[in-house]
Amino acid sequence: MSEADMSIIKPEMMMKSYIWLETADGSIQQVEQEVAMYCPMICHEVLQKGLGAGSSKNCAISLPQRVNPAMLSLILDYCRFHQVPGRSNKERKVHDEKFIRMDTKRLCELASAADSLQLKPLVDLSSRALARIIEGKTPEEIREIFHLPDDLTEEEKLEPLKNLMDDPRIRLLNRLYAKKRKELKEREKLKGKEVEERVDERSVDDLLSFINGKDHKVVKTSKNKKKNKKRKEHKNKDSHKLHSKQQGVQIVDETASSLGGVSNLPSMEDDIFSLQTDSEDGYVDDGMDPVLKEMLDREVEDFARRLNSSWVLSSGQERQPVHFSINGNGATRRLTGTHTPQGFSQG
Amino acid sequence: MGESPDLVSDLPQSILENILTRLSIRDAIRTSVLSTKWRYKWSTLTDLMFDEKCVPAATDRPLVETNLVRFITGVLLLHQGPIHKFQLSTSFLQCRPDIDQWLLFLSRNGIKELVLELGEGEFRVPSCLFKCLKLTRLELCHCEFDPPKSFTGFSYLKSLNLHQILVSPEAIESLISGCPLLEFLSLSYFDSLVLSISAPNLMYLYLDGEFKDIFLENTPKLVAISVSMYMHEDVSDFEQSSDYNLVKFLGGVPLLEKLVGYIYFTKYLSIGDDPGRLPITYIHLKTIELYQVSFEDASEVLVLLRLVTHSPNLKELKVSASPIQLFPLEEESFDLFERDYFEYKLPRLETVRMTDVSGIRNELEFIRFLLGTSPVLETVIVTSSLSDKDARMEMVVELLRFPRVSPRAQLLFLQD
Repeated sequence: MSEADMSIIKPEMMMKSYIWLETADGSIQQVEQEVAMYCPMICHEVLQKGLGAGSSKNCAISLPQRVNPAMLSLILDYCRFHQVPGRSNKERKVHDEKFIRMDTKRLCELASAADSLQLKPLVDLSSRALARIIEGKTPEEIREIFHLPDDLTEEEKLEPLKNLMDDPRIRLLNRLYAKKRKELKEREKLKGKEVEERVDERSVDDLLSFINGKDHKVVKTSKNKKKNKKRKEHKNKDSHKLHSKQQGVQIVDETASSLGGVSNLPSMEDDIFSLQTDSEDGYVDDGMDPVLKEMLDREVEDFARRLNSSWVLSSGQERQPVHFSINGNGATRRLTGTHTPQGFSQG
Repeated sequence: MGESPDLVSDLPQSILENILTRLSIRDAIRTSVLSTKWRYKWSTLTDLMFDEKCVPAATDRPLVETNLVRFITGVLLLHQGPIHKFQLSTSFLQCRPDIDQWLLFLSRNGIKELVLELGEGEFRVPSCLFKCLKLTRLELCHCEFDPPKSFTGFSYLKSLNLHQILVSPEAIESLISGCPLLEFLSLSYFDSLVLSISAPNLMYLYLDGEFKDIFLENTPKLVAISVSMYMHEDVSDFEQSSDYNLVKFLGGVPLLEKLVGYIYFTKYLSIGDDPGRLPITYIHLKTIELYQVSFEDASEVLVLLRLVTHSPNLKELKVSASPIQLFPLEEESFDLFERDYFEYKLPRLETVRMTDVSGIRNELEFIRFLLGTSPVLETVIVTSSLSDKDARMEMVVELLRFPRVSPRAQLLFLQD
């Protein structure tokens, strides 16, 4: 509107008083005063800055950044309806139900804009609508609707919920464990340990050569093999992440057997402990890729944790779970085991 | 980034909490697997509400119990920050030591609203509950409540709801007087309770049970009262006091806006020596609903008339006439002309609903009284419990004869 236009005052405009509002992108519009004053934030601005605020284009009230022109017009429609005093509660409800029907993106923007204008009823209305969208849906569906990145690892997804939700993957995992353990226990009885060891060494050699092409670490392989086996076991049971180590299913079997019987656990812990101090050097010498090393360390930790919790569940005995923590350079420390309270085990 | 941006994770925490609070606790916790940002968003929710729907349904009851206990313990341990509201409503849990532990945890985390609706079994509320001094709302169901001697009350408590609680009357009385900010009080499912209520800020009173004697000693701000009073078999206890119960109960509630009474409430009010008039006028009383009024009993009719005539702004009146007699009464005729009741005016009365009318004299006279004293009366709905068509017809004919002061008054007859 030019200066000339401004001087032509329409009769309707004389009746109502208008307030000028400016959104973050610079566009300015005028709105009937009673409609705009329905927003607490605008109301406060006017009261704080005196009657002059918003009375002309030049001193328009600037709105918070989260209010874009599209949202502003929506909010003003809402205010325009609700500021009329004579409406019944039912009328208002019916209007709100229709009003809130919009796509999710706009719903989120609306909630945000209403919040910055301190319009609580509209915030509640849009939050309710968003809650209705979320409830009952699977995580995948929710991620798709809201464009959320799927950036949690499998372990992280299972972790806090492990004890709360009846996640079928936990049950599956435990069943697999139990099955493997049983199978390998039987095999152990038939074969005898020596045979296992031999089988192990052979395949671990292959493994090591695959990683770094050297084979002078034969001495250490007997310890390392256990770690590798654990890795494989873990990978096998989980989502097959480390394809680089895709070898020797029999290793997994043998590994499971040595982890198998209840009585083996303490010795296993010792092995892991000593294993790590060895492998620490081993890794440094090997010049392994640090990223890979990190990944392996994490998996060991996760596996150990899973191992512990699955022990509490399956054995049902009061077994001391051993807590491991991995610090930066991959060494594991054994913390004092504490008794897991009975009521709080895997759910 | 050309791909779609995250729509919701960066909304202010207050909005996200608003959304998460509206989900069931199970759905809210599920959001922790959505993405890294969402991992712990649920864990700062301040309102936690649990029931047996939190765990998968099963026919094996102990299994549901175990799962529920595990779930709640798990949630509490993963939770971060203060917990303001904790609600547990399930019949699956009765007395379990886990509940004690949860209450201890809550007492250390600033609990303000606590609702415990357990299954029948008299869970004994642990002493840590009495250390939750920030409580503003307490609701207990099927519990045993035994405050220690050192307990002086919850100084911020505004709402108290006790249902089927094993507790001594002295404990309740001192609890009520120890909560000076109390605004809402509900006591239900009690046996032979004798109570004197002193609550200077009390606005809403709800009583339901077998009460021997209730004295509203200091409740000047009461706005709404609803009483379902069951009669103790030993009626002589009622008759002992010489104070007029109507005055004892309703003598100190000048701000009353709504009064509802069931079962023997009107009978209870009618007991005692009638002093002749009520001490106060109920200027704000707009709605009176008295059910199971025994019209054969003249003193009950008197109570009804007193209340109605002392409420100049009464707008709505609902009376149900079906008597629950402990002992049969001869109808005592109540001659309204004799007592000058037609001198009164009910200037604002608009709606009247009389149910279970059996056509006895006092009932008809009462309706005649209403029709003759209400200048703005619009609707009078009468439902009859008479099965005999002739008797009903007689009653209708009689009622239609009565003169009506209000030109708009309509008499409607509905079949029960």
